[in-house]
Amino acid sequence: MDTAELEKQVIEFIASKAENADISKISTATTFEDLGFDSLDTVQLLFDAEEKFGVSFDGEEVKGLRTVGDIVDYMSKHPPAAS
Amino acid sequence: MRVVVTGMGVVSPIGTGIDQFWDAATRGKSGISSIQCFDASNQHSRVAGQIHEFDPTSFMSAKQIEQTDRFTQLALRAAGLALEDAGSLESYEPRRLAVSVGSGMGGFSTFESSAARRFQNKSVPPFTVPRIMANSAAGWIATKHGLKGVNWTCSTACSSAGNAIGMALDLLRVGKADAVMAGGAEACVLPLTMVGFEALHTLSTGFNQDPVRASRPFATGRDGFVMGEGSAMLVLEKEETALKRGARIYAYLEGYGCACDATHLVAPDIDGQVAAMQAALQDARVRPEQVDYINAHATSTTLGDVIETKAIKKLFGDHAGELTISATKSMIGHTIGASAAIGSIAAIMSLHTGTLHPTINLDEADPECDLNYTPNQAVQRKVQVALCNAFGFGGNNACIVFTTL
Repeated sequence: MDTAELEKQVIEFIASKAENADISKISTATTFEDLGFDSLDTVQLLFDAEEKFGVSFDGEEVKGLRTVGDIVDYMSKHPPAAS
Repeated sequence: MRVVVTGMGVVSPIGTGIDQFWDAATRGKSGISSIQCFDASNQHSRVAGQIHEFDPTSFMSAKQIEQTDRFTQLALRAAGLALEDAGSLESYEPRRLAVSVGSGMGGFSTFESSAARRFQNKSVPPFTVPRIMANSAAGWIATKHGLKGVNWTCSTACSSAGNAIGMALDLLRVGKADAVMAGGAEACVLPLTMVGFEALHTLSTGFNQDPVRASRPFATGRDGFVMGEGSAMLVLEKEETALKRGARIYAYLEGYGCACDATHLVAPDIDGQVAAMQAALQDARVRPEQVDYINAHATSTTLGDVIETKAIKKLFGDHAGELTISATKSMIGHTIGASAAIGSIAAIMSLHTGTLHPTINLDEADPECDLNYTPNQAVQRKVQVALCNAFGFGGNNACIVFTTL
């Protein structure tokens, strides 16, 4: 999957998880805070992303994720084990 | 100071809301069916009282659903209905509004699914613990409705809701609250939980091909209880303040008694049951011969129904024959920690309407069960004092008395 396609899928996924989110306003620069997520919501989001994309959000690196783009970057660097 | 019931909400295998539930109960409708929510083909007991049409999206956001176990979702629905029924509690200070909920197992649906994930080396959902914890339902009810006073959860297995309602009465009496949302919730039609009960030989296994006949309290051929799920909530208030706000009053919650067998964790005991019924009647200041109706614990186990019958005969003596008794579990199965709350609603509606729901599947009574259990057809009888029995593992017996005296 190329980066543009991954970005599109992650944005669609995040929009589906954010209450009252306008997908047209979500970009890689959008922070979880912008989306109204508190820290537990973010943990839940990463858990749901694991389920959806088959990736594993694990380790110290995860604590630094702040934006939609951070998730895309993380997933590019840590592709699902099966792929 | 007397305590009144001013609102009721119920979610059960035979209907949601008081009207639907009571219409089905008085018609003797069965809510028992083959298990559909998971593959039960490798279980011995493959029937249950399930709520098929329950849709939490009708009153909860996607996020709230994600953060709650099914037992909490059922509790939230019942509490919402009870508040709608009771009318506005805005005249009360929020810190004086309490919540008292019973649940035997708590969020076991989440426990089972998260445990299964963990054993497969998968991560577990972040809300695993807040979904499982037994006081999750009470916390969510308070949060959703701004009930900011005492908030507690009672877990005494099958008598949980009986104690939760009884302790709500005490809370109002000692003056620590002005109104209480009290009841129970349970959702354990689940593979591990059911196999656990199976291992104790407590579940019905002989009616998998004929589910509606499986839950048959007091009847010949009964072979164990049928697992059920549901929730019921009561809004309880001090009579004086309820009248002041113009609330409709269904009945008085007049007495509560609890006694422990202290003999065996699982096997029922006549003396413990007698002691709890007696304590409830004394608390209500009514004599045994004033009791008209008993909503029996009656789970449809071979031993339990006989013990309860003997306990009733021991306490009530000759008056036992005058009592009208019925078993709600014949229609919905055993909803464990919710059962005494649903039974309470049946008892209150009996007082309120003068119609007593039947015990279904009672074509032929066990010779050792020889009281009037209202077989198969509802009866009309003006009743003024009703007793609701709940007996749980741990030897825990909780009885509550409702009256219109």
